[in-house]
Amino acid sequence: MEKTTIFLNVNGSRHEVHCEPRKLLSDALREDCRLTGTHVGCEHGVCGACTVLLDGRPARSCLTYAVQADEAEITTIEAVARNGRLSPLQRALHECHGLQCGFCTPGIVMTFEAYLREHPSPTEAQVREALSGNLCRCTGYQNIVRAILLAAEWMRAESVDVPA
Amino acid sequence: MPEALALLSLHGLDAKVIAGGQSLAPMMNMRFAQPAHLVDLNALSELNGVARSGDTLVIGAMTRHHEVATSATVRSACALLAEAAGTIGHYAIRQRGTLGGSLAHADPAAQMPLIASTLGARIEIVGPSGSREVPACEFLISVMTTDLAPDEIVRAVHFPCMRQGERHAFEAFSRRHGDFAIAACAVTVMLADNAFAALRIGLGGVGDVPLVLDELAATCIGEAADAGAIARIGDAAAAAIDPHDHPDISIGYRRDLVRTLTMRALERAIRGGTQNT
Amino acid sequence: MSQPEFRYLNKAAPRTEDYRLLTGYGRYLDDIEIPGALHVCFVRSPHAHARIVSIDASDALTMPGVVAVVTGRDLAQWTTPMRVAPPIEGLMPVEIETMPLDIVRFQGDPVACVVAADRYLAEDAAERVQVEFASLPAVTDMWQALEAGAAQVDPMVPGNLVSHQAVSHGDPDAAMKTAFRVVEATFLQQRQTHVPIETRGCAAIWDAGRDHLTFHVGTQVPHPLRTQLAHRLTLSESQVSVISPDVGGSFGQKIALYREELTVAALARHLKRAVRWREDRLENLTAAANSREDFCRTRAAVDEHGTLLALELEMREDFGAYCFFPANYLARVVAMILSGPYRLVNYAYDVKVVLSHKCGNAPMRAPMSMTSWVMEGTLDAIARDLALDPVEVRRRNLIAPEELPYRTATGELLADITPTQTFEAVVAAVDYDGFRARQREARAAGRYLGLGLCNVVEPTTYGSRFYKAAGIPGSGHEACWIRIEPSGVVNASVGLGPSGQGYESAMANAVAEGLGIEPSRVRIHLGHTDVAPYGMGSRGARSGTAGGGALYLCALDARRKVLAIAAGCLELSDAEALRLVDARIERRSGEHWIDTGLTLVDVARRAYMDPTALPQGHTPGLEFHLTYDPPPMTYSNAAHACEIEVDVATGFIKIARYVIAEDCGTLLNPTVVEGQQHGAVAMGLSGALFEHLRYDETGQNLSGSLADYMIATSAELPNLEIIPLHTPSRATAAGIKGMAEGGVMGALGALTNAVNDALAPFGVVAERHPLSPMLLRDLLRETL
Repeated sequence: MEKTTIFLNVNGSRHEVHCEPRKLLSDALREDCRLTGTHVGCEHGVCGACTVLLDGRPARSCLTYAVQADEAEITTIEAVARNGRLSPLQRALHECHGLQCGFCTPGIVMTFEAYLREHPSPTEAQVREALSGNLCRCTGYQNIVRAILLAAEWMRAESVDVPA
Repeated sequence: MPEALALLSLHGLDAKVIAGGQSLAPMMNMRFAQPAHLVDLNALSELNGVARSGDTLVIGAMTRHHEVATSATVRSACALLAEAAGTIGHYAIRQRGTLGGSLAHADPAAQMPLIASTLGARIEIVGPSGSREVPACEFLISVMTTDLAPDEIVRAVHFPCMRQGERHAFEAFSRRHGDFAIAACAVTVMLADNAFAALRIGLGGVGDVPLVLDELAATCIGEAADAGAIARIGDAAAAAIDPHDHPDISIGYRRDLVRTLTMRALERAIRGGTQNT
Repeated sequence: MSQPEFRYLNKAAPRTEDYRLLTGYGRYLDDIEIPGALHVCFVRSPHAHARIVSIDASDALTMPGVVAVVTGRDLAQWTTPMRVAPPIEGLMPVEIETMPLDIVRFQGDPVACVVAADRYLAEDAAERVQVEFASLPAVTDMWQALEAGAAQVDPMVPGNLVSHQAVSHGDPDAAMKTAFRVVEATFLQQRQTHVPIETRGCAAIWDAGRDHLTFHVGTQVPHPLRTQLAHRLTLSESQVSVISPDVGGSFGQKIALYREELTVAALARHLKRAVRWREDRLENLTAAANSREDFCRTRAAVDEHGTLLALELEMREDFGAYCFFPANYLARVVAMILSGPYRLVNYAYDVKVVLSHKCGNAPMRAPMSMTSWVMEGTLDAIARDLALDPVEVRRRNLIAPEELPYRTATGELLADITPTQTFEAVVAAVDYDGFRARQREARAAGRYLGLGLCNVVEPTTYGSRFYKAAGIPGSGHEACWIRIEPSGVVNASVGLGPSGQGYESAMANAVAEGLGIEPSRVRIHLGHTDVAPYGMGSRGARSGTAGGGALYLCALDARRKVLAIAAGCLELSDAEALRLVDARIERRSGEHWIDTGLTLVDVARRAYMDPTALPQGHTPGLEFHLTYDPPPMTYSNAAHACEIEVDVATGFIKIARYVIAEDCGTLLNPTVVEGQQHGAVAMGLSGALFEHLRYDETGQNLSGSLADYMIATSAELPNLEIIPLHTPSRATAAGIKGMAEGGVMGALGALTNAVNDALAPFGVVAERHPLSPMLLRDLLRETL
């Protein structure tokens, strides 16, 4: 298959990528952009490990062709911590022991960075429902749920403190 | 749109349309589907959007499930549709999956084909020779098989708006949250003096296409909407299905499930049709 | 020996490995950049059993980017076959070719390997390799496999019976004859697979100049794997380095040297190019390793009070087509520990392991997972049969504290376990009598609640003396080194292979505690065989006991030398009155300890830079090495209670509450332990409810995607309430007992018993997993 040239705007940087149209966004991010934080767990769209933000919305990068993301804004896990400072969600996951092997973690962080912006006060049931699209084999989810609720609490408190 | 249609005409069976990609991409990754060309509709913004036009709710084919589920317009004009859309897959899937894509994919257990069939929605299709409209029941022909020709694209879906006083419920059963339903039931009910004045019952996951029980519903008009009627309707719905046998899911099980889901949907709709817990 | 108060052990602390994992800078196998590496894709059999007639790669070889296509014949020239033949009575030896030459034995068996410039091209080319097969009849279930005339899976295993042990202790026959009742129960556990979120993969780099192989692979056992790899490639162990990076879960799947990994290594050497492989999920589900699929039948002889007089176990396991592990190992553990915390003298078992045309088994987190379900299900069957309360039946048979240490019927010594305490704790926590009252009320209203109990005694750590007594070759020891650097920081290493269990944190705590410094000064190095000492790796739940124990003991050695040198610095005759606390040397003065102003850095400086000043008998440097062989067997114990509600119309199970009381001795890091408890119970519940690796009667695998093979999501699992009841072991270093598999065992039993408790009014019993809504509803349909 003939390669084509596309431009992926990833985490604020522009990457020129030469790839076949059938190359998955997940592979393009990992290989061409050298951002290996986005993990591939299934390529069926079930496990959610490959979740990135596509124009701000969570998308499974294994179900998206790189060419479909030409000129789109892509955000991956590498952009979440700013200047080495973890986001509230990342910090909460750390404090609540919401990760073990870490392979599913970037997908969960990306999903919930978006989700919590849209739903700042979720109930536990709502969190569990939203989390059900990310599979974890290590933690049993309990501490991840706790972390998300804690992060939501922190984020609500932070937004209250911000002067109008 | 004309460009998309031209590409489809040019490549014929070598091309497939890609919308949200949540169903097609997994099949391609596993190499079950290997089209030589993909026509990507994601850039066609004219296929996006929700608009109410009188008694009809028109939703563009590329509208994402997330928007269908959360749009204030959809919730007020066709709450059943919003409720069902909110149960599709998971949060991330709903960001990408589309109404048109789901209908064109025609999975027997999917929500959008069921709701479209139950409500008698019309599918607006555009092709090289112009546009046409097809009732959902005629559009969905069999498992993963629709009336859509290889050179046609779904442009929009027209849903009838809820009538004043219309109640609804959507009950689906799956083993895990977000899985395709083993069976699902969608109902709309209007009551007059606690008797059925209008009734629609649709069943998903029970055959090759959704089953809409128009004849059964017609026999209920004028009957008291009480526990006895609900039980009779549940039994009739269970008897009406003709599902395939499956190593894990016996026909007996599916009948039991249809009976239960139909009864629960009716009970909930009659009570007031609020969101399923 | 009384337990001293620990400064770092038993204290919860966040992990140190999280930063890189949270920010996307973890380094998993597929993240490793190897410029110029070639990619492989395996061509696999679509048939469960067939003869390979021909393989034609000519078309594939013409494709751009394709470098080579190799088959079993090529690999037979570059590698030796795998021989699994431990001298165990009743176990048949088997030999496995690196890739089949003539016969494929399961759908997914690799027959050829394509090497190409990238993974996409390799997959394209794999599709164009033409393989002609002649299909053969297949055996696909454990009963059919032993029938006369059944197709043979392995010519070395006539009749497909690869392992058979039948042992009797005491006189169960006599007890059966005179008992008040003999209660029978059956249990069928479905075939499952591990599903680590990271699939398998590896990368091999052959250095032609040094004649050396560097092999990157996620593994639980870096050194044993290295030994195997060298042996199979006819290289010396000095020619192979294994490097295990961050691993995205393993659960027992990433232990054996599989054929794909060996093929990649052989290709790198042959092609003199770096070669790598990333397994896809379909392969992982169908061709990596399966697990479980066991049938058990128990017959329990009891008196009218439910006292267990004798127990017979008949067990059968479907091991699949290939034995990557000794086939007796998994089933044998079940038979050995079946009676768990219960008094039993007369016991007989008959365990058969059979081959079939399915992917071969590997141990999966708690290979003996079925044990507690079987024992506790038997006790509940006794209770039902005799109309006794299941709690009373357990109380009657539980080994009391004063009976410990207790020698079981199979000769196992149970010591330092607390099953009575953990059991009574959960019974109290769930308000047992209160539950029964609620259950009665609910039944009257047409709702069906159930409570299931399950006691677990978990064998965590096998010492070398266990293997010796059992006639199993192999060692249970673990190895470590600790180096205090001249600047006073500490580097340490142990032969374990982490896959997410937080060893970097937990093992640092073991060093910190033993030495007397803060954990933050300790860095743990794992997974690189040039760096780590030769240890047996991570398996079972041995890492805490064996690995943590080794580091703790080694750190104590280090402390002794540090204090001896400190005594010299302070011009004391000995170190009697000295201690090391948070890297500072303190001296006892009457009742108090005073800071001497001397620190570990000072001691290190003297040790490395001024060795002539060291006390008599002490050599330069501060580097220590130790191997630790734990006791023959170490156990931890727990009790699980699960409350559910069954929707009898749909068969849906809702878990309302889940409580565990656990005793796992000293904890390296309670935070990590809690995570392991959550994960183990989750895997058990997922297995009991959803997972099912299905083959049809012709051997076609029907579970090729995560849509087909279902694992539990966050929406299905409960929050666990954990009651910690830890008491130290008196036999292990630092009193560690280990844990991490018992949760699976407890979950299987607690959930199933809860379901059967809920369905009791209908007189039906669920005897198989998964406990699908369809199964329950089908059981109920007759009665409703």
